[in-house]
Amino acid sequence: MSDETAREAGSTESVSLEERIARLEEILTRLESDEVALEQALELFEEGIGHVRAAERVLSETQLRVEELLAGGKKKELDVDEP
Amino acid sequence: MSDDLSLDLFPEPEPEHVEVEASVDQAEKETVGEPKVWSVSQVNRAVRSLLEDSVDPLWIGGEVGTWTRSRPGHCYFTLKDDRAQMRCVMFNRDAQQLPTDPEGGMKVRVLGALTLYEARGEYQLVASRIEAEGAEGLWRLAFQKLRATLTAEGLLDPERKKALPRYPAVVGVVTSSTGAALRDIVSVLRRRAPWVRVLLGATRVQGEGASVEIARALEALAATGEPDVMIVSRGGGAVEDLWAFNEEPVARAIAACPIPVVSGVGHEVDVTIADLVADLRAPTPSAAAEAVVPDAVVVMEGLREMPSRLAQGLRGTIQRRRSGLREVLAGLRMRVDRRIMPVQQTIDRATGRMERAMRSALELRRLRVATAAGKLDALSPLATLQRGYSVARSRTGAVLRSVQDFAPGQPFELRVRDGEVSCEALETREAGPS
Repeated sequence: MSDETAREAGSTESVSLEERIARLEEILTRLESDEVALEQALELFEEGIGHVRAAERVLSETQLRVEELLAGGKKKELDVDEP
Repeated sequence: MSDDLSLDLFPEPEPEHVEVEASVDQAEKETVGEPKVWSVSQVNRAVRSLLEDSVDPLWIGGEVGTWTRSRPGHCYFTLKDDRAQMRCVMFNRDAQQLPTDPEGGMKVRVLGALTLYEARGEYQLVASRIEAEGAEGLWRLAFQKLRATLTAEGLLDPERKKALPRYPAVVGVVTSSTGAALRDIVSVLRRRAPWVRVLLGATRVQGEGASVEIARALEALAATGEPDVMIVSRGGGAVEDLWAFNEEPVARAIAACPIPVVSGVGHEVDVTIADLVADLRAPTPSAAAEAVVPDAVVVMEGLREMPSRLAQGLRGTIQRRRSGLREVLAGLRMRVDRRIMPVQQTIDRATGRMERAMRSALELRRLRVATAAGKLDALSPLATLQRGYSVARSRTGAVLRSVQDFAPGQPFELRVRDGEVSCEALETREAGPS
């Protein structure tokens, strides 16, 4: 992910949790390295905070979805009762 | 096959064998003229009916002799003890149920019905079930054989195991849509990782052909390219119930799956071939679900720490920039110094040269002065006085050079090296010619 697209991704919902957390780790590494200019560091910080907020939303608000894969690649939502 | 034997075997022929008995009666009647001649087929058919109708299916214990499986899947074998043997056949419908072919010499018990193979006039046992060394012997043998094959192919190598993703978005689940396994898995995922989407590949998990269905379901899920990780699962059950997970199609499908597969079959104690091939073996369906996703609570904790870690990173950057500025200044100073240094050197060199020039000029001058002084010295009467000569002068200061210059009683001054002496002449004598 380039920094440009990543910064936009920080605020969109379509990014997976795995990508967000991976990106957060990348940002931390970048911030701890010497190569980042001050301006860039500020942008990375803001992007990181965006990922944290979005990830927290995902964790606290989403509901597990269960779909059954049917023949021909179609999918059907399933209600699975707790045991 | 003698009449005696058949009588021994079937001492009480059942009443429905009317046809046979009637035929025999008819044969006796015709002995008057030409004897009644039976065709081989007729006799064999009659004996077959006799055999099949008289003996209920029975278990026979013995040792497997030769065993061959034909292309259509029918199995032909002999069953023997130390004194006798019998021919047996197991047709493909039943042979398919066998976890594996028994090996020669294996002690087995066979459930079957006696019959006569009319074409050869040989009696045989049509086997429907075979069990070896206790009920699970053949299952164990099949397990060992398949494991050996897969091991030889390297499919069980630890290096083949794929790492599981840490935060999967889509979890593929291959199991029955109505089983307890699916409910257990969904329950765990809902609690631990509600952000996940479950994609179910519904399949039968036991019975005829189940292993092929499980394999297809796994392949179909993988083909969507959506799951990040797979669970292949089934709840607990008897050995036969779990058997599909010990069969080659499932093993090969798991091995070929490009997505990491976690197995969760049966209970803790059940280890299946699927478990051995899978990238991770979980002891139960619930454990499989726990293995594929992180706990939301832990993820949340990690996220809560994130802002302060980010802030720390940012602070670090700022500090490094600040010390960086210091370095820039030091660098600048060095650059300036570097520019000044040559000039300084030139000046230093010039000064040195000047000093040296001045010094040698002075030296030269000093040398000249010294030389001049030496000459002056040599000319000065003082130098002569130094050597012990003295100069006599009159009171008026005239130098007295000759006897004629003195008169007896005349006072004069004598100049010596370090002063003057007042003297008085007593007498004068003229020196003779030398």
